[in-house]
Amino acid sequence: MRVVWKKQGVREAIAGYSFMAPTIIVMGTFVVLPITYALFLAFNKVRILGELSYRFIGFKNFIRMASDERVLIALKNTAEYVTIVVPIQTILALLLALILNSKIKGKNIFRIVFFLPTVTSSAVLTLIFMWIYNSNGLLNNFLAFLGLPTYNWLGDPAVALKSIMLMNIWSTAPFYMVIYLAALQDIPESLYEAATIDGANPFDQFVSITLPLLKPVTFFIVVMGIIGTFQLFDQSYIFSAGSGGPNNSTLTVVLLIYQYAFKSLDMGYAAALALMLAGVIMIVTLVQRYFFKEEN
Amino acid sequence: MKIEPLAKTLSLWGFLLLLVVTLTSCGFRNSPEGITITLSGWQSNPNEKQLLEQVLRQFEIQHPHIKVKHETINDQYMDVIKTRLIGDAAPDVFYLDAFEAPLLMKYGVLEPLNSYVNAQFDLADFEPTLLKAFQLEERTYGLPKDFSTLALFYNKKAFQEAGIEQAPQTWDELRDDSKKLTVDKNRDGRKEQYGFGLAPELSRQYFMMTAFGGRLIDRQENAAFFTSGSLKGLQLVIEQYRKDQSSAQPSDVGASTGSEMFGQGKAAMVLEGTWAIPYLQETFPKLEFATAEVPTVNGKKGTMAYTVAYVMNKKAKHKEAAWQLIAYWAKEGLALPTRKSVLAELGFVNNPLYAPFAKGADYATIWQSGETLPTILTHFNNQFISALIGEQSLRNALRKAQRSANEEIQSAR
Amino acid sequence: MKSLNWLKGFLYIGLIFYGIITFLPFAWALSASFKPLSEIMAGGSYFIPDHFTWDNYRTIFFREPLFGRWLINSLVVAAFITGFNILFNSMAGYALARIQFPGNSFLFFVILAVLMVPGQITLIPSYLILKNLGWLNSYQGLIIPNVVNATFIFMMRQFFMNFPKELEEAAALDGLSRGETFFSIVLPLAKPALAAQAIFIFMGAWNNFLMPLIILSDPEMFPLPLGLNTFKGQYISYWNYIMAASMVLTLPALVIYAFFNRYFIQGVTFTGSKE
Repeated sequence: MRVVWKKQGVREAIAGYSFMAPTIIVMGTFVVLPITYALFLAFNKVRILGELSYRFIGFKNFIRMASDERVLIALKNTAEYVTIVVPIQTILALLLALILNSKIKGKNIFRIVFFLPTVTSSAVLTLIFMWIYNSNGLLNNFLAFLGLPTYNWLGDPAVALKSIMLMNIWSTAPFYMVIYLAALQDIPESLYEAATIDGANPFDQFVSITLPLLKPVTFFIVVMGIIGTFQLFDQSYIFSAGSGGPNNSTLTVVLLIYQYAFKSLDMGYAAALALMLAGVIMIVTLVQRYFFKEEN
Repeated sequence: MKIEPLAKTLSLWGFLLLLVVTLTSCGFRNSPEGITITLSGWQSNPNEKQLLEQVLRQFEIQHPHIKVKHETINDQYMDVIKTRLIGDAAPDVFYLDAFEAPLLMKYGVLEPLNSYVNAQFDLADFEPTLLKAFQLEERTYGLPKDFSTLALFYNKKAFQEAGIEQAPQTWDELRDDSKKLTVDKNRDGRKEQYGFGLAPELSRQYFMMTAFGGRLIDRQENAAFFTSGSLKGLQLVIEQYRKDQSSAQPSDVGASTGSEMFGQGKAAMVLEGTWAIPYLQETFPKLEFATAEVPTVNGKKGTMAYTVAYVMNKKAKHKEAAWQLIAYWAKEGLALPTRKSVLAELGFVNNPLYAPFAKGADYATIWQSGETLPTILTHFNNQFISALIGEQSLRNALRKAQRSANEEIQSAR
Repeated sequence: MKSLNWLKGFLYIGLIFYGIITFLPFAWALSASFKPLSEIMAGGSYFIPDHFTWDNYRTIFFREPLFGRWLINSLVVAAFITGFNILFNSMAGYALARIQFPGNSFLFFVILAVLMVPGQITLIPSYLILKNLGWLNSYQGLIIPNVVNATFIFMMRQFFMNFPKELEEAAALDGLSRGETFFSIVLPLAKPALAAQAIFIFMGAWNNFLMPLIILSDPEMFPLPLGLNTFKGQYISYWNYIMAASMVLTLPALVIYAFFNRYFIQGVTFTGSKE
């Protein structure tokens, strides 16, 4: 039967929107709506507890950000965190996926063990880690055993953020490893076989077959990595008992937002900060996408 | 691989959707014959929960037309309460810590209790400093249900070994004793026992500042703790940590709280509250410890007091019933009862473990200071720890903390 | 080639080392779940409990009357969320990747943008919306806002980018509509991606804590993580119960992962045989 091409456009549109319908309805109500409300709050001085009141103040919340020292510190901490964690996490995930996809023994056991940190909720993980990072805990005992210097991983501001970084990389890399594993399944064996016949060695095959075909998925993983690290909250909250200390060393932007929203009930300013963060993430993602040029 | 017909898939999902809708109509709400009021609180331990349930059932027996639905909020208590207050879905009666009270009182979400208090109800029986914490502009918003102060816990065995006969009475004595009690038995550079366990939070250190005339806020509720009085008081703490090296934070020795550190024998003395007594008895049964009043600082007796009250939601539907519950409760405290008569009656003053806590009620500084305290707390703790570990001088830390706290307070106005 | 064996040996050592490091914390948590509280606090033994006890688990399972109810709540909610998500996310991802319809790029942009706004700020508005719908303390409130997930729509879109056009064109020539093509050809071939989704969405739904904490006040409606948080007291933490609870929480997710892991075994490809 022949397809009627004239009506193709309309048909496609209908198909597209029917596929998108559940998403549009549910996300529209439960995600987009609250965000729009937050958008509105950002431009007002809000009193939300007791008597509700809004006073439009334009960009004042955003101007306040520029002179708020803690915002700058939070951004710096978060940026440092992102630039270190995202590349390491992505590369580790790819490495693990490649290894666990190859013909080595005990693949399945390794896959399950490596995935343990991701399967555990972040609250539980943080608890476990606080035990490991304990001054008398596993890590320090191990280091002392090797004759290496020990630190107060939790209490020393110079090291606190790095402790969180380490823990996060270790617990999030498996998540991306699984996604890479799924993507690797979609690369047909035949491509590799053909390349081997043509005399390409494993490294060449990796660079010219694997990497390019993994590009869409890598884009996903890097973007999600950026978003996830920029929005770090759980660990820094638990580590610093909500204060962001010592001396603001574990203060991340979302922790700051939480403090303003829930401790001081300054919802307008908190909303403005949230929008600022979203803006920053967007810019970083666009820059990263420019360097990544998606292929279709 | 089978080809799945479209119809089959869609009907499966349709069925599932139907299932969801059906399940969700399995509600639990039944129309009550009497009145149901909701009570929320956090819980300290599973035992307390049982005691609480007992009290509630007794209340229901005495007031047959009132049913109490008790819900515990297991985490982030204040965040959840605030969210529910905002959404008009908060419980009728709930716990409120003195620390958080000013904010809620100011925003007018609590029901004033003055009109419910009748002649039979003796407000004067409540410990005045504790009651005052829940009063704003002549109106009482909550009745404190129990309280705790800080007292000195000391390890009897450690004291024996160091040849100390009695608990230190002044802060100077405490420092001397600390030095004697700090030991490194196997000389590996790591001390097994510190003389004193330190909690570097404003909530615990505030009384050190007031001993020298320091305070937290001024009349306009701006941060005003950067004064010579506060400096002197806190300097004692810093010196003991940095110079004497006879005190340690819990994280330094691998513990999460002062009580834990004390129980593990890593600190010979700590300042903790009544909550520590059951904890130590249950978790470290072999530990021999005793309590004493907090040593005097600058010649003055002082300690911290923490109290929690039952408050009523302004939007509660059955206010009279809610009041009955609050009034009933005020008679049953779970830590230390706040009514002087009950305190005496239950013999707390004579119980050697609890006596120092009870005595402390007379001169304690209550942990509360206006609605800006939460903000001040964050900034203070943030900087104070940095001074403690030697990153900056105490003077700089306090100045910075006050300045950043005030910046935040001003911009929020 | 000798160098390759060398490399392989090195690789195995590295993997085993990494595996041990990863497993250790869980080994400790597991052993802690069998110790009485005093033993954990005394901090002496590491991996072999001195006083092995089933007490912690017994307390959680039996002394806590609502445990069974919490478990069922979690299972029901997680199952529904996972089921709906796999379907809806894949549909949306496919549409965004393969169907040229007006507004395609815009919708994709919105979905990405939505991911970038931190959840803490939408907490209160979401709560207000749920309250106005009357969905507090209900299964709908827990399930419906979560039946689609922007992250996985994004992921499915990326997966479908590489889908071979020939299959779609062949289906079109055979007279299949987009919908039929999707359900009968595309979806079956996307098994690895669907498996990945199933794992993660189940995990997310299973471990979800904050939203349930805020919207649920009736203890009978609590999902497991919320219910088990009872043991984290205001002043004192009962580490023994907490560790036992953590083990109970982690196990189902691990089982689901182990089950779906087989879909990551080579063999299912897009351009291979359709069968």
